[in-house]
Amino acid sequence: MTETGLTWPKNVNEIPKAAFTRKDIYAEEMKRIFFGQEWHPVAHESELPNPGDFKTFRLAGVPLLIARDMEGMVRVFYNACSHRGNQLETAVMGNKTEFECPYHRWLFDAKGDLVGCPNHRDFLPGFDKSDYPLAQPRFDSFYGLFFVTLSAETESLPEFLGDSQNTLRELLGGDGRLKLLGYQKVRYDSNWKSYTDNDGYHAPLLHQAFKLLNWQGGKGRQFTATKHGHICFESALSVVSGPTVLKDDSLIAFKGQDPAVGSRIVSLFPTFVSTKHLDVINLRFATPVDEETVEVHYAYFAHQDDDEDMVRHRLRQSSNLLGPCGLISMEDASIFHRIHIGNHTPGNAIFQKGVHDQSKLESEFLQNDESGNLPRWEYYRSVMGFERAEA
Amino acid sequence: MMQTDTALEAALDALLLADASALDGKDMQGWLANYSEEDEASYICRSAENSENGLALGFMFDDCRSRLEDRVTFVNDIWVGTFQDYRTRHFVQRVKYWRVDAATISVRSNFSVFMTPTDSGITQVLAAGQYLDTVRLDKAGGLKLLSRRAELDTSVLPRYLVYPI
Repeated sequence: MTETGLTWPKNVNEIPKAAFTRKDIYAEEMKRIFFGQEWHPVAHESELPNPGDFKTFRLAGVPLLIARDMEGMVRVFYNACSHRGNQLETAVMGNKTEFECPYHRWLFDAKGDLVGCPNHRDFLPGFDKSDYPLAQPRFDSFYGLFFVTLSAETESLPEFLGDSQNTLRELLGGDGRLKLLGYQKVRYDSNWKSYTDNDGYHAPLLHQAFKLLNWQGGKGRQFTATKHGHICFESALSVVSGPTVLKDDSLIAFKGQDPAVGSRIVSLFPTFVSTKHLDVINLRFATPVDEETVEVHYAYFAHQDDDEDMVRHRLRQSSNLLGPCGLISMEDASIFHRIHIGNHTPGNAIFQKGVHDQSKLESEFLQNDESGNLPRWEYYRSVMGFERAEA
Repeated sequence: MMQTDTALEAALDALLLADASALDGKDMQGWLANYSEEDEASYICRSAENSENGLALGFMFDDCRSRLEDRVTFVNDIWVGTFQDYRTRHFVQRVKYWRVDAATISVRSNFSVFMTPTDSGITQVLAAGQYLDTVRLDKAGGLKLLSRRAELDTSVLPRYLVYPI
């Protein structure tokens, strides 16, 4: 199984840095993880609210077309013509009732059915349009969040999500009735695992902003869901106490209804990170580009029941707080780059905070424990077939 | 008339270049000084992709004077020492302008921004796009930005942003 020849350390809190940088390991990850038995979020249905709306997205290089038909049903297709495989739609989003391939003018409706193709009398005898709809990967949805899996063997979506479901539902506004505010898209010079390892987990020491803003962390819990090592954070709202250095502190104000659901993070294996913090609802659709690069589409949302003032507040807060240029997250983005550079050195990355026993994995953690990532690393190791060293 | 327009064009270009110079010099107070003192002074940096799809969200969304002042605090105080620094070079070219009223001018300019991280030393394009500016003529005859929208053709950034574009 270990044709990639990487021996995993004996201690559960040590991760070999070579796993972040080797091309052969990346190629194996594509097979075993991205085309393997995992579900990958690709869109929330509120990104395409109206009949005929669509979005395209590349999942680990695979082009997808997510489209809402005229009756309102959302489906996921491969974004490739069923004839010769030409990329069908080039726009990242838009509204169309039909998709035409320019190569031989094959025409598909928003249900994916082939509704027209010129000169089909010249085709194979017995050619039937109904045999050539757009191909579809397996997909399913959870409160409007659409997931794709590229393997026929993957467990059901509810099984995959397991105990993360309630946290994710709360994060999606409680009922999934969201309204898209827009995107921030960025490529990081970072292996996809360095990104996911550090995006959900936040070292408060890094955040100078917390100190300058008099920001006290809310009390909370961190737990692992399912064998995949999904990570959920649930905490009461962080609050700003005393004066801040900001002249307009609406940036860090909470105007929502229930502070008990103030802060949620769900990080699903392999690459998805989502968060609800203050009044920001943010889903991060991330995909590896190569072993040195990950592309992240930060999508931000309001809730459909918000009044105009609340939408405006969310818009201002979402733009400036948590993304690749955000007040309390820009330095995270820098860390992705620096960790990836540092991973080109020998040895292991060693997790410390929250680790009680180097031979044992736990599933409940304190809010700022590094050790919450370790069950996911154990799952990664097992899927990749890396053997643990004896000693 | 011709002379007046020439003088105005020179003044508009001076404002565009003062902004480029402040940004490339990481002079955030200098950047702020190019904006009007009015409460509604604003800077929004957003992908054209969002704008064209009716999505208002930006990379930076400073829609009042106090937020512009906070942007200076982010860069000068809050983020110090937490990121890999990079140099920028802003190239800006006025494309079109028109008078809105006696004290207000709309200006459209193209920009491209090169980025050179201090650690790698390799130069690449950070972003290209256009500035959609509303410029205010003050009583002393000076020009300030009342609002600037940096609309990025670059919908996928090659890096996080520290400084405004």
